[in-house]
Amino acid sequence: MNKLKLNYTSLSFLPILVCIPLGYQLINNIHFGGFKLFQEFLISAFNPKIDNEIIITVIKRLNETILIGFFSWLVSIIFGAIFGIFSSNIFYKIFNIPSFIYVIIRFFLTIIRSIHEVVWGIILMQIYGINFSIGIIAICIPYIAVNTKVFAEQLETIDYKSFESINQINAPKFSSLLTLIWNPIINTFKNFGLYRLECSIRSAVILGLFGIGGIGTSIFLSFQTLNFRELWTYLWSLAILIILSGLIFKKIKFNTTNKILSIFFIVVFFLTILFSFSYFLYFIFNNNFENFNSVSSLFKSSLDLGLFDFLKLILETIILSLLSTGIAISLPPLVIGIFNNNSFKIFIKIFAFLLRLIPTPVILLTLLTFNNPSLSLAALTLGLHNAGITSKLLFTNLDIQDKRNYIAMKSLGIPKKTSWLLGLFSQQAKSYLAYCAYRSDIIIRETAIVGVIGSVGLGWQLQESLSSFAWQEVAIVLIAYSSIAIVGELINGKIKNSLT
Amino acid sequence: MNNTVLELENISYKYKNDLILNKINLKINSGEKIALLGKSGSGKTTLISVLNGTIKPTQGEVKLFNKSFEELDRKQKSKITTIWQDLRLIEDLSAEQNVNCGLLAENNFYFAFKNLLNISSFKKAHKYMKLCRLHNFIYDKKIRKLSGGQKQRVAIARSLIQESNILLADEPFNNLDPKLITTIKNLLLENVDKNKTKKSPKTVLVALHRLDLLNDFDKVIGIRDGKIFFNIKRNNLKKIHLEKIY
Repeated sequence: MNKLKLNYTSLSFLPILVCIPLGYQLINNIHFGGFKLFQEFLISAFNPKIDNEIIITVIKRLNETILIGFFSWLVSIIFGAIFGIFSSNIFYKIFNIPSFIYVIIRFFLTIIRSIHEVVWGIILMQIYGINFSIGIIAICIPYIAVNTKVFAEQLETIDYKSFESINQINAPKFSSLLTLIWNPIINTFKNFGLYRLECSIRSAVILGLFGIGGIGTSIFLSFQTLNFRELWTYLWSLAILIILSGLIFKKIKFNTTNKILSIFFIVVFFLTILFSFSYFLYFIFNNNFENFNSVSSLFKSSLDLGLFDFLKLILETIILSLLSTGIAISLPPLVIGIFNNNSFKIFIKIFAFLLRLIPTPVILLTLLTFNNPSLSLAALTLGLHNAGITSKLLFTNLDIQDKRNYIAMKSLGIPKKTSWLLGLFSQQAKSYLAYCAYRSDIIIRETAIVGVIGSVGLGWQLQESLSSFAWQEVAIVLIAYSSIAIVGELINGKIKNSLT
Repeated sequence: MNNTVLELENISYKYKNDLILNKINLKINSGEKIALLGKSGSGKTTLISVLNGTIKPTQGEVKLFNKSFEELDRKQKSKITTIWQDLRLIEDLSAEQNVNCGLLAENNFYFAFKNLLNISSFKKAHKYMKLCRLHNFIYDKKIRKLSGGQKQRVAIARSLIQESNILLADEPFNNLDPKLITTIKNLLLENVDKNKTKKSPKTVLVALHRLDLLNDFDKVIGIRDGKIFFNIKRNNLKKIHLEKIY
């Protein structure tokens, strides 16, 4: 008998097997009480509420979201670049600083990155109360760490020989450093900046669902009052905002040879740093710590968390991550492969856009209209949202791929689906899996959001502990979260390295 | 008077388990024009990298102006310039920006900043680019858009602009047509003879394969399997010497 051989293509489809246990639990948990509501939700998508009052509200709320999203993006991308330099090996090579320092910095940033912005937001809200600037700070904390990683990784791609050659000129060390890092930094900003801006806006929306303000808060309030027409007005306006920001960003050409533009960017760069530091100091010295008087609160607060329950929550979080990752990896190629014609493609693209657009808590709440809360439902939500993101990448890569193999196979009379699988997708499978490995890091962090809403895993426990100001519990949950995320990141890093 | 500018004392270099350079002793005197001959993989590039201080030998000591590399300050180290075999230009910068990188050692951080913003003076860079027969329409072109020969000349211009006392060149005539080879060879060696400026390269060591270019050199060093087989005056070079190394 032939042995089963796994390759990148089959590995891309294999994780769909998670749908078997997931589907079983979802079918068992189905209820018919909310079908009408779900129907109403879908119909409202084509009939959003449009009147003067709501348009004014949309503009006002979008304005808040844009401000939170834009400022958190600006600060996090600039500080990400700065910390990226300090955590890249090129800096330590040029200045002959022992490299263990950069290992420490990277580890510290990994911990910060492992905690989702929503968790930071909830914690900061508990300490400082609801405040517009909390939204910016909550997004900035993990985003600076994420951006730092991206910039550092790009700086590591600097050709070692270029480094040797500049080093051999024996220029002042700062001159050598600047000359070497200048273009990788600019290129990272060009390639990565728009995506991070989109992420910041999405995060601002999600934080809004938890009360920070902006369009997210309006979305949540209209969902709570079951005002679906209003809800869709907010969602469509958010869609327009994301599409428009993408179009505007694409129009802006970051021409580094344009002197005036370059000087403008440098002025913005330094002003942002100056403003951020001043604001940070102002924030520290002018805020009352409402519910968190000192570090001693950590030790005074009660700890009601049983070991067994705690381990169960950790296990739930891990299973939730695995199930969601399975859906996010396999669903896009499966759907694109099965419905492989132009009209279906447009439909899949729109559906994927909606999955990316609608915040995960809203998807979860919608699904709750006909299914009881469960781990599977939370996993399905998170999986679908991320499948929306992985499918965008897959579509983009498939569109730009050389199609000669696919055409040749079709001309040989091979069925269209088989030609797509072997002639197109198989060439993308490796890089697609590498991206999915990176995506699964994010999925682990995002379990916090669905956990809070869907009563699953550590996210739910975190919400409970924060509501009762049990800081010791909060600390333990955060440590557990970080540990899972760090271990996950290490495993995914290994997978990604073996794939690239 | 001791006019040794570069000295290698019992130098060995090991990479993983391979002995790339094996107990090399070499003295290079001021004003000498030396051709370094040897098969591909014989250790020429490694020897140049040891001479310019880019790689530290596993054993032995390198002395520049009778001082070990560790004792030298940045200004003293900058008296050596190198034309690398693989050029080592910064692909995302323009040709003139790359040539200006050669001036980083004698300028401050602000110069580096202005160079990257394209607002520094390129007068000197253009002068050397012109000497290397580079046309002005390629001055502001990114390196990745240039041909092999153009890149080669940009790398040469970047080294010449440093006006260093010692020039090390690893196969600098690659990618050049015969006419350009003569021009570039004269450019690399002429300064030595005429001593045009105080800062001009006075000592030149060139690794090459073309034996027809040896006429303008004073000395020839032959290297094989990381060992120096001969270090003789060019006039004394015989067929038997070349048979030892090729």
